[in-house]
Amino acid sequence: MTISLSSYELELIKKELKREPKEEELKVIDALWSEHCSYKSSKVFLRSLPSEGPNVVMGIEDWQDAGAVDIGDGYAIVMKVESHNHPSAIDPFNGAATGVGGIIRDIISKGARPIALLDMIRVGSLRHERNRWLLKGIISGIGFYGNSIGVPVIGGELSFDDSYTDNPLVDVACVGIVKKDKIVSSIVKKPGLKLVLAGLTGIDGLGGASFASRKLSGEDEIGAVQIADPFAGKIILDVTLEIADKVEAIKDLGGGGLAVAVTEMANGLGAVVNLDKVPLRVKGMRPEDIIISETQERMLYAVREESVEDVCKAFEYYEYPCSVIGEITEDPNIKFLYEGKEVVSLPSSLLLSPPIYVWNINENEGEKINEKPTVRIEDAIRSIVTSEELVNKEWAYSQFDYEVGTSTVIKPGEADSSLLLLPNGKFLAIKGDANPDLCNEDSYECGKEIFAEAYRNLATVGAKGIAAVDHLQFGDPKKPKVYAKFVNTIRGISEAAKFFNIPIVGGKVSFYNENSKGEEIKPTPLIVMAGITDKYFRPSIEEGLDIVLIGITRDEMRSSLFTKIFGKYGKLPKARLSEDLISSEILTQGIHEDKVTYAKDVSKGGLIGALWSIITKGYSVSISTEAINTAEDIYSKLFSENGGRFIVLTSDAQFFIKFAEKKGTIAKIIGKVSKGSEIYIDSNSYNLSKEIEVYNNYLEERL
Amino acid sequence: MKTAVIKFPGTTCETDVLKALREARVESNIIGYKDFDPDKFDAVVIPGGFSFGDYLRAGSIAANTETMKNVKEMADEGKIVVGICNGFQILVESGLLKGALLPNLKMRFISKWVYVRIVRFDTAITKGLEKKVLRMPIAHAEGRYYLDNPEEAEKLAAFKYSDEGGNVKEEVNPNGSILNIAGISNEEGNVIGLMPHPERASFKLTDPYSQTDGLLLLRGLRK
Repeated sequence: MTISLSSYELELIKKELKREPKEEELKVIDALWSEHCSYKSSKVFLRSLPSEGPNVVMGIEDWQDAGAVDIGDGYAIVMKVESHNHPSAIDPFNGAATGVGGIIRDIISKGARPIALLDMIRVGSLRHERNRWLLKGIISGIGFYGNSIGVPVIGGELSFDDSYTDNPLVDVACVGIVKKDKIVSSIVKKPGLKLVLAGLTGIDGLGGASFASRKLSGEDEIGAVQIADPFAGKIILDVTLEIADKVEAIKDLGGGGLAVAVTEMANGLGAVVNLDKVPLRVKGMRPEDIIISETQERMLYAVREESVEDVCKAFEYYEYPCSVIGEITEDPNIKFLYEGKEVVSLPSSLLLSPPIYVWNINENEGEKINEKPTVRIEDAIRSIVTSEELVNKEWAYSQFDYEVGTSTVIKPGEADSSLLLLPNGKFLAIKGDANPDLCNEDSYECGKEIFAEAYRNLATVGAKGIAAVDHLQFGDPKKPKVYAKFVNTIRGISEAAKFFNIPIVGGKVSFYNENSKGEEIKPTPLIVMAGITDKYFRPSIEEGLDIVLIGITRDEMRSSLFTKIFGKYGKLPKARLSEDLISSEILTQGIHEDKVTYAKDVSKGGLIGALWSIITKGYSVSISTEAINTAEDIYSKLFSENGGRFIVLTSDAQFFIKFAEKKGTIAKIIGKVSKGSEIYIDSNSYNLSKEIEVYNNYLEERL
Repeated sequence: MKTAVIKFPGTTCETDVLKALREARVESNIIGYKDFDPDKFDAVVIPGGFSFGDYLRAGSIAANTETMKNVKEMADEGKIVVGICNGFQILVESGLLKGALLPNLKMRFISKWVYVRIVRFDTAITKGLEKKVLRMPIAHAEGRYYLDNPEEAEKLAAFKYSDEGGNVKEEVNPNGSILNIAGISNEEGNVIGLMPHPERASFKLTDPYSQTDGLLLLRGLRK
């Protein structure tokens, strides 16, 4: 097993300890100080994200597994996002499955019931067989775990770009619900509590955190991948929620295994752990492997002595291992004992204070090429609507049990956001958004735009965003250009979060995402946002409805799907956050006054991409480009992906036109819906029945 | 009728079924598999999920528990036993219902809303129903019903996958079931298993068609 500590860090450790660390101790420090667990290259900048707010019940300070937000009526939602990119590149099925398991355990460690999962998947083009293998494994892995554990996968994204060949991105988000006064902490505040461990420890996932914090080496790294056992995960889920009010703290055993869970839970206090007491899956494990194994389906509880029996009894019902392995101590050292000997004794302060880095930054974002391609409109439309980005994703989501829980109101594929019924009768909307093409060109604008896009997506089902989590996925942070994009992204996200007044209650950073040639992925920050509405709205389409475009279309073509296919040109879209806010207010007001039959955010594929969602449901659309007079270029009118815009199907267009004027933007009728499968643009019409066939069958046929 | 909703380790749909049964005004409780006392109940529902992780074959480990011996006794006494999805798999594995549930033809999990035509009106949950075609979701990886005697299968069939108009045809068969069978009953009509989830079609808010077809079936346990 490789250790990722640098020689500088090794020197630092020796200086602090005033002695040579033992082999076992080095492995513990390596896990705690890994990028994956310590955020040493990102911490400084992450602090600029707004994490507080009047509704934030539990922020991301200290070592909490997830943040919580008040939603009224005594309830809070808990949310979290994580990726499992490196393991999924090696074993897509187990990598993706354990990603689901890990995120669910983060939610239940707050005492919250997980009620929804989202998966955001990015792979290289399906033209390549390896990418098809990766995608098949990833989707069935997510389904295997999510279905078996009974948490509905209610939404997500499936997106393609060749920069993810070799290094797919597998992001999973989870939302849970808990009574506000029943939230459990992940850390302890006083010594004397017993440490209770549930689950078996095995030899899978050795050094996983360290592995996830460096580049894929191409060597045999399968041992760092954990094995997924959703049945055991379900027992952990059921029992943890049953005993949540009998424990003082709950912590998932994720990256870094026991070493990290115990140290973070102790939160500056000390702990003594007796490794002989850890229930093992295989005999003869070395003590250092027991300490850092990342076997899934384990959970650590801090329990008052008198409650220990109750806790373990609940596990006994399911014949699941549960054992007292140690206790929290006043003495601020983390100690692991094995056969009576002290194998590790390290100060908490050393483990919890890795060196913090700020790497070199080079802002040079590359030359801009500005040659406008010449493409016939018809050809452009046909290429764009049949691109992998816009094909029907039913192949993927039909492998997920999105109905379990009988709360999924708006199902996958129905709208830009899913909608879930909450126990207090309100509706929770949730969506994840990324835009790697824009981030690759201008990561600062991208940081703002993805936040705004998530906000707009929630608005399409009538909801207002209330909380977000972020996931920042980049290449090697020591590369100055990569690092510049990282820093600029955070600045963009932070500004947008402050503008919309939406706290960021959790997040994750994943560096070292590169292909086998050492080229980094397109920077892929991701925002998952949750919103609330008390009004229920199901999108539908009818003949004769007007198509209203809310917002301003601009000549900003760069980074669009059009330029990705036909060549880069034009200006970059700027995120004008107030336009996103105004348009969203107009739309949600329209929804709340029953003026909207169907609504869609204008994003991938521009206006054509948005209209395509109507055409694929069996309708023709006719539009007049003259009505879109805020842009000059015909390509921009049809394909620009600048933000702040929606299309709405309505029988009361005047409502939007007048309301927009009053609010400070524009809304115009740009066309109409009829029966059929055509698109009419001014005096031209194109039949798209062949493209609809591609739309419906593409994934099924490729996979 | 006092109804037990049995929870095995790995069962995922017990609270959904309970919620729907209560919506149908059926007196019901969730009972842990080790705590089940058959004398206290008039009916049993075995909900969906992945009992014991569905390791080995779906439903096979649960089928061999003491709990299922008790369920079998109840069935023999003429009490009502309903198995939904994994519950159906358990009933088949334990021999309470004939046949087998094989992996879907596409060899993958399928989540989908389907139409189901009722073809027998002499079972405990279809008795007296006027509506013939119901809309419910399926969500399973092993739902392809198989029996080596098609004539017998035809006799046992209680539900068949159909189109909106109730036409049973191959194009709407989601998993490759013999004769489009979505659910069967024993000859007596008191033991019923089906792959679609009636509990998920029991609430207007979450039913995409704002209907409650599943309640029609669950109300059969009210009497």
